[in-house]
Amino acid sequence: MTRAVAVTGLGVVSALGGNVDALAAGLVDGRCGITPLRLFRHRGRANVAAEVPEDVAGFEVALDAPATRRLSRADRFALAAAEEACHDAGLDASLRGAAALYAGATTAGMRETEEAYRRQRAGEDRRFRVSRMLATPLSTPAAVVAQALGIFGPRGTFSTACSSSALAIAAGAEAIARGRARVVLAIGSDQLCRLTYAGFDSLQALDPEPCRPFDRDRRGLSLGEGAAALVLEDADHARARGARVRALVAGHGTATDAHHVTAPHPEGAGARRALEAALGGAGLPAQAVGYVNAHGSGTRHNDEVEVAVLRAVFGDRLPHVPVSSTKSQVGHCLAAAGAIEAVVTVVALERGLLPPTVNLRALDPAWADLDLVPRAGRRASLGVAVTSSSGFGGHNVTLVLARPEAL
Amino acid sequence: MTAVAVTGIGVVSAFGVGLTPFWDGLVAGQSAVRQLARARVPGVELGAEVPALDVRAFAQTPLARRIDRTSLLALAACRLALADAGEPLAAVAPERASLVLGSALGNLGETESFLDRLFERGAGIPLVFPNLVMNAPLSYASIELGITGPTAFLSEGEVSGEAAIAWGAGLVADGIADVCLAGGADELDGVLCEVLRDARGFTGGTRPGEGAAVLILEPQARAEARGARVYARVVPHAGFGVPSGVHRWPHDGAAVAAGLAPLVADADLIVAAANGRAALDRVEAAALAQALGPGRRPAVTALRGAFGDFGCAGALATAAAAMAIATGTIPPAANAAHLDTRFDVVRGEARRGRVRSAVVSALARGGLCRPIRLDAAA
Repeated sequence: MTRAVAVTGLGVVSALGGNVDALAAGLVDGRCGITPLRLFRHRGRANVAAEVPEDVAGFEVALDAPATRRLSRADRFALAAAEEACHDAGLDASLRGAAALYAGATTAGMRETEEAYRRQRAGEDRRFRVSRMLATPLSTPAAVVAQALGIFGPRGTFSTACSSSALAIAAGAEAIARGRARVVLAIGSDQLCRLTYAGFDSLQALDPEPCRPFDRDRRGLSLGEGAAALVLEDADHARARGARVRALVAGHGTATDAHHVTAPHPEGAGARRALEAALGGAGLPAQAVGYVNAHGSGTRHNDEVEVAVLRAVFGDRLPHVPVSSTKSQVGHCLAAAGAIEAVVTVVALERGLLPPTVNLRALDPAWADLDLVPRAGRRASLGVAVTSSSGFGGHNVTLVLARPEAL
Repeated sequence: MTAVAVTGIGVVSAFGVGLTPFWDGLVAGQSAVRQLARARVPGVELGAEVPALDVRAFAQTPLARRIDRTSLLALAACRLALADAGEPLAAVAPERASLVLGSALGNLGETESFLDRLFERGAGIPLVFPNLVMNAPLSYASIELGITGPTAFLSEGEVSGEAAIAWGAGLVADGIADVCLAGGADELDGVLCEVLRDARGFTGGTRPGEGAAVLILEPQARAEARGARVYARVVPHAGFGVPSGVHRWPHDGAAVAAGLAPLVADADLIVAAANGRAALDRVEAAALAQALGPGRRPAVTALRGAFGDFGCAGALATAAAAMAIATGTIPPAANAAHLDTRFDVVRGEARRGRVRSAVVSALARGGLCRPIRLDAAA
């Protein structure tokens, strides 16, 4: 007997703005948040990114002064998203105190750490600025959120590259489904840093222009930054306290390629098993799905493999299932991507809105039959949607989300 | 819930490659702390370094020849654990096998050389970048071992090893995996030693270290059916948070005690997190004393003095706790002078006697407790 898992709170920080309403407005308009890189100088093929606007990251923090001074941007993003989600869900101090906290992170405060490292190596600082080196441990954003918001249940920080926060959500949903937790805050947060930017660029994985997922001429991904948070809650608990059930996490699936450290499995074996396991766990056939929020990174390989997986699972029905890539608007936010895309998917279900794939100029002829929701968001009544994430090393996670009345 | 058996232990430590040198060293009361070679920097001379590993002994695919050191430590521990358990992967479907690894800091050495080159020439190194992804050990090990079930990588500072083992135990207990490899790895290098020195991080008795430990976890019934040796059972526990500064040790002994009390109530052995830093040792001692209550004096040992202090040291502590249960031998505390006299600390020589249950007490900065409870199998 498993418990129903509700989503009762959402929070998000991205290039489209510092809250869920700003994100939703951007989905309707089809705004692209990918602009020339300003945070640091980079000499290479690409020079665009989806940066969080400056005014979003600066806000009052409920921590002591030394801890506040040491916050990285990733910590601030995580905290902003977590606060919005907890407020949205109406979690009081006692509900927060008992809640579990599962996070996804890939580089946390690497931007601050790499700068402290550079200064010490260049002789600008005689010693390491240890306070900045402390930004790096991946457990830091979750510790910041836990201590600032008083969240003292079980805690975990997952790092499976680009599926990190999707895994955090899956972990939280599993804990609730099995009756081990009543409230879980699931978050993902990452910030742009030179290491990641130069790394992806050296792999020639970055599109020199804003990324064009599913476009015939796509040349790679665009990096982004941000955070998202979801309050997951036992649905009975949520209803008993009068909280609004915004969506249900109906199922989740996790599977591994065991194929390559960067490339996806050529047939998407792990991604397919994750999708099938998520639908199986939800007890839903593929026909029930009305929208797919794709991983859609915009690399030649990813989009090909992803469409192949969707064709295998949805068959002839795929042209009638809208598929879109949020990464075309907010960039690839790495550890935050899964959570941001889960928030987008809940917004889609709740507001009857198909999120768009922007920057699409010419559809790849291999999938000219598909509805990729080009340019701007579109109205549609949705009941069930899936969102998929795949990380370097072949770590795949799929979530099935549904409107409460759809099940 | 399915009972979770530990059927294999793989350890790569400053004592050497394998469980035997690790356990023999601990039981003999030896310390693997020596003059540092690779990681030595002015002001940090002593530490627990792992001897150089032969990549080809552990990595078989051409891809894995590019493996980084932290991933190699983890992969080596995985292979040693599988061999110790009688190669259990051969008998399960790949999608029913799981892998959960942890690391506090991941691949330090190549991250630094990548940044050095980036700052000098403005460009990254494409062959190295995949190794800098935090979950590289998970990727390499899943590819090398052909594991396609649910996998996870956890980073939890000083309790990264315990976090991974607890998560893996949960996957077996919930019936999601028939075999799960769970553990962690962290490496030591010169830059980390410099940072620790500049932070005055090793003023206590314990020295920095490195290493990896991985446990093979299986449903106990399945393990018994195949005639596997069962070292101990892991009792899944989700851990808990307590108030703390973001980068500080927990300060509220009572909050830690409340979480530990049900775990230590009938434990025969506590493997303490104690690492010689006053802030940690003080709160841990207060919490244990309160959790145990008056009159309860289980054996206490602390082993970071022997194999060094690092993010995944708790995975090695858990391996030692499983061995203590399996062999009825408790290794003595290393550098134990700082341990609280309120406790029955195992000092000097190993102690023989039945250990029915052991708790690895795990505390991390930022206010996270990730204790592991192990029970005897029978």
